[in-house]
Amino acid sequence: MSIYDVIFYLFAILTIGSGYLVVTSKNIVHSAFYLLFTLFGVAGLYVLLAADFIAIVQLMVYVGGILILLLFGVMLTNKVTDVKIRTGTIHIIPAVIGTGLLMGVIVSMMLRTNWKSEPGELPFTTTYGLGRILLTDYVLVFELLAMLLLIALIGAASIARRDNE
Amino acid sequence: MINEILNSITFIYPELAVSIFLLIIVLVDLVFHKDKKYIPYISLAGLVITGILVLNQIGITHFAFVPQLSAVKKYGMMTIDPFGSYFKLLVVVTSILIIFFTIASEEVIDLKERLGEFHALIYGMILGMLVMISASDLILIYLSLELLSLSSYVLAGFLKLRERSSEASLKYVIYGSVSSGLMLFGISIIYGLTGSTNLYVINSLIQGPQINLFTLSFSSILMFVGIGYKISAAPFHFWTPDVYEGAPISITAYLSVASKAAGFALLIRFIQTGFTSFISEDGYWTLIAVFDWQALLIAISILTMTLGNFSALWQDNLKRMLAYSSIAHAGYILLGIAVLSNQGLIAVLIYFFVYMLMNIGAFYVVMLISNKTGSENIDDYDGLGAKAPFLGVALAIFLISLTGLPPTAGFIAKLYLFIALIDANMIVVAIIALLNTVVSLYYYVRVLKHMYLTKSEREQENITPSIGSLVYLLVLLIPILFFGIYFTPIVEFARSCVSLLGI
Amino acid sequence: MIEQYLPIILVLVVAAVFAAAIVFSSRLFGPQQPSKIKIMPYESGKDPVGSTHERVSIKYYIVAMMFIIFDIEVIYLYPWGVEFRNLYNEYGFFAFWPMLVFLIVLELGFLYIYKKGALKWD
Repeated sequence: MSIYDVIFYLFAILTIGSGYLVVTSKNIVHSAFYLLFTLFGVAGLYVLLAADFIAIVQLMVYVGGILILLLFGVMLTNKVTDVKIRTGTIHIIPAVIGTGLLMGVIVSMMLRTNWKSEPGELPFTTTYGLGRILLTDYVLVFELLAMLLLIALIGAASIARRDNE
Repeated sequence: MINEILNSITFIYPELAVSIFLLIIVLVDLVFHKDKKYIPYISLAGLVITGILVLNQIGITHFAFVPQLSAVKKYGMMTIDPFGSYFKLLVVVTSILIIFFTIASEEVIDLKERLGEFHALIYGMILGMLVMISASDLILIYLSLELLSLSSYVLAGFLKLRERSSEASLKYVIYGSVSSGLMLFGISIIYGLTGSTNLYVINSLIQGPQINLFTLSFSSILMFVGIGYKISAAPFHFWTPDVYEGAPISITAYLSVASKAAGFALLIRFIQTGFTSFISEDGYWTLIAVFDWQALLIAISILTMTLGNFSALWQDNLKRMLAYSSIAHAGYILLGIAVLSNQGLIAVLIYFFVYMLMNIGAFYVVMLISNKTGSENIDDYDGLGAKAPFLGVALAIFLISLTGLPPTAGFIAKLYLFIALIDANMIVVAIIALLNTVVSLYYYVRVLKHMYLTKSEREQENITPSIGSLVYLLVLLIPILFFGIYFTPIVEFARSCVSLLGI
Repeated sequence: MIEQYLPIILVLVVAAVFAAAIVFSSRLFGPQQPSKIKIMPYESGKDPVGSTHERVSIKYYIVAMMFIIFDIEVIYLYPWGVEFRNLYNEYGFFAFWPMLVFLIVLELGFLYIYKKGALKWD
């Protein structure tokens, strides 16, 4: 067991364990805090995969952005902090069959497939290559993304703004 | 590298025009925030220019944005071909019709203040659709799908003060994000298998013996979920009736034609480019033996048209009925793809052209009535034939065309579809589709019965459409009747546009 | 490869230990004689009035959404920024134009929401 394996299992346990706590916790604020550890664990897994840029995006957008806003939203909203959310189980048999089947398919797929792999060293960092490819080969995607974000801005303003009527 | 990009830009003028006009609309909305009545005309002008640029492209077959840093420097991220140009033209014409639609629709007239964002979002949809139609790279496909979805989520809930509209938007967002998530999962599996996101490269790589068929089938199904949601094929159609009922009528009409057309174009390109190994002399596609698309498409299409038609039988709300009828039509069109031949493709192209005319027409009449009465209930149509003779006749023709009876263009569309099916020896499927058409006759004729045979219980004023509305309806009616009798030009045009950029 | 992340791991460990130490040391060393008045929420010496959980205007959520969108925008500046010098040497000003277009489009969006009053908090 190399150091990579140890770190991998540490992050995996962190991710799955806190993920379990997110869905079982009765207090919605606690759930949000556990989500922090789940997202952080996923960021760690990205680092292990040598996807450093994705890891940074994960930290900046999910941990630093979405999660903090979620927490503020939860804490600022009236009385939500005291609400005991119901985490009962209904339809347990069909749910177990359904998720079990899906998990079986995904796990067997994961094990039996010849995934495409390129031999070679893990890159030191992916950010340089990404910057290059975004401005050259994928420039169309890059500019379309700007339009997507513009539409998202207009749409968000349109939905949330109060009309003067 | 720079040359490649500059060269590629000459092939995306329509998309560029749409983007620039989107920015212009946003700017005009900002600068002239007192007076918004020019915005519809600006967007019309933009669409006309885009349409001319698309017309210029018809006949061109070329790759754009070929990656220069990757190993395979042959296939581009966008594919310009006659097939794509046909669908782009369809989208642009639909958009022009819808802009005129919104000028007459009171729901939209009431918006005044927010007209700018309304048109900006419509332009967002158009941009998404145009890119989606010619995208041959999975990343671009996903991004354009998101652009289209994001704008349509907001537009579906644009009447914020109406509860049903907000509900429609919320349902649309939830269904949409789940299915686009599944599609993204499918894309990631395909990338993991082949190491490429380009459909042409994927095509050549999945012919190898080391490809795991089970995994590929799983990812193909996941991809189909994302596309099936856009074209509202069963079992991914549950959002359709609620969204179509809640959204503003103009947006309902737009979603039912344009965004469906773009979804079908994407599906056809995905199957044809990604999975076809060769096309025989007589136009039949031979797929790579990795996934049985034909069986999946036939099963889905039969399910879709049966569910759509049978659910439409019990609808009293016209918008909801037309929503189910559009689901059923998606089923028919899927059959055209399931034939997996150029003949089936021609049928699909013809069907879409006719479907655009008759569906927008039907929604337009529904909109005119609801402008007066404020609802779309079938009881409002009692005695309409006497009160508004022209509207009655127009709606009757649109509905007869939707059923597929002669002498309307709807008949020609169905005829070509059935011929393609029978030529491919899919007799059983053709019979099921025919039986479905008979079922659909019932609910379309039910509206006619209310219009002409039922006496209205309430006293209503006469509905006289404005001159503009008359012209609009005539513009839709004349081609339906004309192509119902003399259909050679449209068939020829579809035949010339059938070729996709091949392998 | 993993060695490069050692400083980050160290910072994380130090931060966690430091935070835990502060919280627990004050518990450990400080005298604890709670009384009703001591544990009352502090509101400038006055008795607290009403609930601490007030309804928040929807404006908060607009600002939140805008924040996420601009967060994503900034993320894309980062790979461009680190690679810009090399790209500039190879392609000259061509390395500049795509990002300029990207920023113009998004600043137009910013101007839009600003003018539309989406950021007004009242």
